[in-house]
Amino acid sequence: MKLMKHRSIQAVMVMLAMLWAGSASAELLIRVTEGRVDAVPIAVVPFAGAQGAPEDVSQIVEADLHRSGQFKPLPAEDMLSRPSNESEMIYRDFRVLGMEYVVTGSMKALESGGYEVKYALFDVSRQVKLLEESYRPPASQLRDVAHAISDRIYEQLTGIPGAFSTKILYVTYNRNDGKNPYQLQYADADGHRVTTILRSKEPIMSPTWSPDGRKVAYVSFENKGLPSIYVHELATTQRERVSSFKGINGAPDWSPDGQKLALTLSRDGNPEIYMLDLNTKALTRLTQHYGIDTEPRWLPDGKSLVFTSSRSGGPQIYKLNINDKSVRRVSFQGAYNARSDVTPDGRYLVYVHRRNGSFNVGVQDLQRGTFNIVTRTDMDESPSVAPNGSMVIYGTQDGGTGVLQAVSIDGRVKVELPSKEGEVREPAWSPFL
Amino acid sequence: MRSFLNPLFALMLAAVLAACSSTPAEDDSSATTAPEPTDTSPVTPVEPAEPVKPDTSSIPLTADNFYNHPSNYDGTTDSRVIYFAFDSNTVPAAAFETLRAHATYLKNNSNAKVRLEGHADERGTREYNVALSERRSQAVEKFLRVQGVSSSQIEVVSYGEEKPAASGHSEMDWAKNRRVEINYTAGTP
Repeated sequence: MKLMKHRSIQAVMVMLAMLWAGSASAELLIRVTEGRVDAVPIAVVPFAGAQGAPEDVSQIVEADLHRSGQFKPLPAEDMLSRPSNESEMIYRDFRVLGMEYVVTGSMKALESGGYEVKYALFDVSRQVKLLEESYRPPASQLRDVAHAISDRIYEQLTGIPGAFSTKILYVTYNRNDGKNPYQLQYADADGHRVTTILRSKEPIMSPTWSPDGRKVAYVSFENKGLPSIYVHELATTQRERVSSFKGINGAPDWSPDGQKLALTLSRDGNPEIYMLDLNTKALTRLTQHYGIDTEPRWLPDGKSLVFTSSRSGGPQIYKLNINDKSVRRVSFQGAYNARSDVTPDGRYLVYVHRRNGSFNVGVQDLQRGTFNIVTRTDMDESPSVAPNGSMVIYGTQDGGTGVLQAVSIDGRVKVELPSKEGEVREPAWSPFL
Repeated sequence: MRSFLNPLFALMLAAVLAACSSTPAEDDSSATTAPEPTDTSPVTPVEPAEPVKPDTSSIPLTADNFYNHPSNYDGTTDSRVIYFAFDSNTVPAAAFETLRAHATYLKNNSNAKVRLEGHADERGTREYNVALSERRSQAVEKFLRVQGVSSSQIEVVSYGEEKPAASGHSEMDWAKNRRVEINYTAGTP
């Protein structure tokens, strides 16, 4: 976020949202299918001076807050007044409508071709201004500014950093594209600004972000139909093939320090978890079992991994201590638990759980030992946790087509991201960027 | 006679293979370099050279029996897809004759090479399905090796659920997708 603004925008927000795109031209509509019953009433007043600008910042902020499921924005036509700054603010006009917070702002075109964007956040019952900031972005960064404002507001009101300024990486599949049916893409967390990273005739799988958000790793079968793992720098599009052993090369996951990849190789005849040092290319085998070991995911401490293993029969989640290579089973409910992700605080494991033939996303609280199924869809897979730990995005099916959906960790908010064309699968939520 | 003997033999071999495939392959040297001593030819039923197509019209094709249905295998190298039961990597008895035909061809044509492409249905997670499909390819590989095919003629690739043969989402679609495709990369019969 190299925006010209007064403070660092890093943080922020939380949750959610998303959208998707089946192809660069097909952005998806997001629909909140379940919000919280206690969603906070907020009025995002249309910003003055937005007419003619390439992006309407207040509309983007309102959509961000709405998609979080935690806020219920007031329709603009219901507003009694439309203040653009503190001097025009009439608290009474919003109090009678039951609003708890109000966002005002303005946009002004600058001679440089950029914009000045100002906004303020007000607490209606206390009649105080909570935030007031301004930004001077080039026109091309208005969306970034809007998401940054959403992040600031979200954090101010929930205490949790917002994740509206993050990206989602995913694979699309379009069977009607005979040349390049598989594509690797990423987009803003609200589904806009789709960028295609790779197009291929052969499958692309298991995309994942580096901890600094500058690179991605993935599995591609582009080389004679055989799987290889690539590390791909987004800004330069330079990439390096880091693993192409005989057999499976799969399930890459970056260590928290960015120096290593955990991955699955079957070079010794059976899928095992390995650790690849990206600098020295040294390879360390971490598991030793004739069952299937795959889908490693680093825990935030960088000293342990969780992974999927069939060593007890069906797939279950295990934890591996990298130092002494000791392994301990973590999941115990049901006969199928696989492909885990971990919240940034290390408290919750999120994984695919089979129940009565249906595959759902389950959340295991490692502190309290509880386990909850948080989705009601079927055929769910590839859950990926937002960097603020609030939401999980995952792949599922709608009408036989692969789509992405998001759900809050507590299962109370559900967001649908219907795809217009082709299938969308294997979402990976970026770190804070 | 044929229709009685064959399945019996098939069941025995299936049991042997199942035992084989569940054997830990931890030490790859033992798993991949030791020649398989078993030659199953002594129990191969003596059959007329003229292939007799079994009458399969009376056996309805269902998602449950698809993998082992005689109509999916013609006993020659023309059959290039081996199907599997749900959650299984056991080579179906109905495919034995077909696989023996491939083995014979490969043994007689040392320049011929096959790529065994393993696939899974869409249920479950993607990377786990890649691992499951590798077990299917390895089961077919083991069958061919037991018949005496050289390991240098066999390559194994595992696609999991990424390249379905049937794009639908029914039990029958899944049955068609749980498969190993035998693709000749050299010396195609």
